[in-house]
Order: sequence, then structure tokens, then C-alpha cells
Amino acid sequence: MSQRDLTAELRGARIVAPSELRERVRLIAAADTTPTRRFTWRRALVVALPVAAAVAASIVFTRPGEHRAGGTVTTMQVGHGEVRGALPQAGKAVGAPTTSGAAGGAAKLAVPSAPNRVQVYGAYLALRLSSATAVSDGVKSALRIASSLGGYPASVHASSEAKVASADLVLKIPRAHVQEAITRLSALGTITGEQVDIQDKQAALNATDRKIARLQKQLSELRAQTQTTTTTKRIAAVEAQIARLQRDEAATRRTAHYATVQLHLTSAKAVVPHRQGHGQLHGVVVALTWLGIGAVYALAIGTPLVVLALLVWLTVRVIRRRREDALLSRS
Amino acid sequence: MTFAQAAEAHLDDVYGYLAWFTGDRAAADDLAGETFERALRLWHRFDPRRGSARTWLCQVARTVALDHFRSERRRTRREQLAAVPERFEEQFAEGLSHDLQLALGVLTAGEREVVALRIVLDLDAVTAANVLGISPTNCTTRLNRALKKLEEALHVAA
Repeated sequence: MSQRDLTAELRGARIVAPSELRERVRLIAAADTTPTRRFTWRRALVVALPVAAAVAASIVFTRPGEHRAGGTVTTMQVGHGEVRGALPQAGKAVGAPTTSGAAGGAAKLAVPSAPNRVQVYGAYLALRLSSATAVSDGVKSALRIASSLGGYPASVHASSEAKVASADLVLKIPRAHVQEAITRLSALGTITGEQVDIQDKQAALNATDRKIARLQKQLSELRAQTQTTTTTKRIAAVEAQIARLQRDEAATRRTAHYATVQLHLTSAKAVVPHRQGHGQLHGVVVALTWLGIGAVYALAIGTPLVVLALLVWLTVRVIRRRREDALLSRS
Repeated sequence: MTFAQAAEAHLDDVYGYLAWFTGDRAAADDLAGETFERALRLWHRFDPRRGSARTWLCQVARTVALDHFRSERRRTRREQLAAVPERFEEQFAEGLSHDLQLALGVLTAGEREVVALRIVLDLDAVTAANVLGISPTNCTTRLNRALKKLEEALHVAA
């Protein structure tokens, strides 16, 4: 018998299930009351993943403290003002200058000087204005303020590049009007920095006065003596010393009469200091970072476990296959 | 397709497969009933995209048959009859010549199984291999070996 005949005969020998078995299977099938499963893991994942992502996103973007300011963010560079020189007779406390966007801040900055003492008063004021035109107008206004208070500009430097303009002015303001000047100047824009520098010269002038008086007394004594060549030379030297001291004292008093106000105007946007974790997508970045870290850990820990599980599965499969072969190798 | 429809359509195939596999129609009768009971419990796992209902039922039947073989082996060991081979039932299928019935006795259960799947049930190599849990090549090799064995047995008988 050829293999084709053999196959044909085997194919023709189909076995039909007995009627008893058919009836039994029908009874079994009739007990099929299993409802169609609507819940599957795949369906659950399809729903759960977007929901989890939405919840995570809402948490990330609505955390308290993450709200952005609705209006214009005013960022100010705090100028740590310092007051040099003691004001022993000023009679008023010298508060540390503070910074604020309001003119009230400038009032605090305008540390009052003691009018009955000789003081060198210096102030620095940085203002941000809205545009280059505003900077130009600000320069003009500052000059008007200075002249209206009896002051004058010591130097003016203005520059513009593209839409950014800046100006640096050094104004000499009579010390009696410096507070008013600072208040009016600070109203020109938004304060981004400020500094006050006061040096009291009164003590030094008092010492100079005492020295001059002593020299003048010495000069009178020399003039009362018999005039010799040596005496004449000494008188000339003392007179020169007195004259020099008086010149220095006059220069100091002139300098102290005017306060130096340095004004910096700019239209450049203030540099917003980077606040950690406050970027628009900071939450997403943090979440992705942690996901990445988790993935690395999962890989590091999971890979050996997966390989081990794979080896176990393969071993079990081979053993089971061999046992099956052994089981079915019998007739 | 409902379970009742699948059972009605493939009962003969499952029964024939089990009969060829075990070589015992009485055992096949019991195992077929057990197969459909188990299939009913597992019907929710059946996915038509992964294979036909007939293939899936044959896989269930094979698991049931293997359990049967294991329990039989344990039983024969207990009875110290392990050395005695299972006797192939003569006249278990109609339409076979006497010589072929005798020749089938030389085949192992594994060989009868592949003959049943590939020739009697006319499954293709991939589907049969899927039921057996082996590669299609291995399945074809096993079938050729079984047919050659049958040919030799028939030649000897002639």
C-alpha cells in the first residue's frame, strides 16, 4: 500500500461521536450561562491610562504656589543700600534703605541729612521705564527736577540700541532738597535698585578748625617775636599751612553743599531671576525625570529577574515537553 | 459563535481526535465529555482572532488527554503494571482494513495523535503544531515518521 492510499484510507475512517455523548455535550452546552465579558485588562488600561495622565496633569498644574501672577510681574533688584558715616548729631535713626516699586520706597531711601552738619551725601537710583521714548523723556524730566531744585547735571550719558535705551545721569542737588529730589526722581519709573551713601565730614572739619586756630595762635606769637630770618621763614610756613587747610575746608564745604545723585534709567526688561521649579513645564519635567529614574531602577532590578524567570520558564517547558514525549512514546 | 454552536460543530472532531490519541473509544467518550466541561469553563478565554474554535477545542482536549495519560501511568505503576504497554483497541474506527487496524497498534500515542490531527482532522501543519505545542517542521517530521512506521508494519503484515 502506497503512502497516498494509506492516507486516503485513514482520512476515510472518520469516527462519529456516539449519540449519548452528543446528548451529554448538548446538556453541558445548555448550561452555558456565562455572560459576555465586557471587562478586559486591555479595555481597563485604555480607560485607566488617560484618566491617570489627566489626574497627574491636573495635580501638576494646579498645585498651590504654582499660580502665575495675573498681572505684570514686577521684579526688582534689591539694592542693598548702605549708609556710611555716622550721624551722631542727626537725631534721627538712619533706616536701611529698602526697595519697592512705589514712591513710598523712595521716601524711605531719601535718608534725611542733618542740615547743621557737613555731610557728603550720595545716592544711587536705578529706574526701569516702559520704552526708549520714556527713557528719553525721563532724562529731560530728571534735568528739569535738578534745575528746579537749584541743582545741575554733572554728567549725562544716554544710549539706545534697537528698542533698548539707557541713560546714566549724575546730578548735583543742593543737600537741603535731596529728599525731595529723590522722591520726584523715583516717580519717573519703577525702582530696580537704590543706594544711599552718607559721609559725615563735620568731625574732620572741626579738627581742621581747631588746627587752624592753633596755627593762628602760633602765628601771632611768631609775629610778636623779634623778626629774624628764621622767624620770617617760620611765619611764611605757618601762613601757607593755614591757607592750605582753609582751602581744603572750603572745598569740603562746597562738596557737601551738593548731594550727588546717580540716576540710571533703562528700558530693558528686568532680568527675571530663575525661580527653581516654576517653569511652565516644570511639573512635566519633574514627572518625566522621576519616570526616567524609575525606569532605570526597574531595568536594573527587573532585568535579572526577567532573565531568571525566562530561564525558569524555558527549563520548565523543556522538562514538560520531555515528560510529554516520554508519556506519549508508548503504544 | 456561541459555545453550544462550537460544541455541536466540532464534537465529532474532538471525539475522533481523542479516540485516535488514546486508542480507546470508551476513554475518548469520557474524555470528550470532560473536554467540553472544561471548555465551557474556559470559554471566556477563547479568542477567535488567535485561532479557530476547533483548534482551541483540540488544545483543551489534548490537555485533558495528557492528564488522563498521567493518571493512567500512575495507576499502572501502583498496580505494578507499568511494564505492560497500553493495548491499542482493535476495531475502534469504522472503514479501516484489518491490516491497517493491526498496523496502527505499532504506533505510539504521540504518533497516533499527529496522524489524527494532520490526516483524520485534516489540519494544516501550522494549526496541528499549534495544538501539539511544537514547531510545524517537527510536526511534519513526526507525521512522516508515523506514516513510514505504518507502511513498514503493513509491509510486514503483507
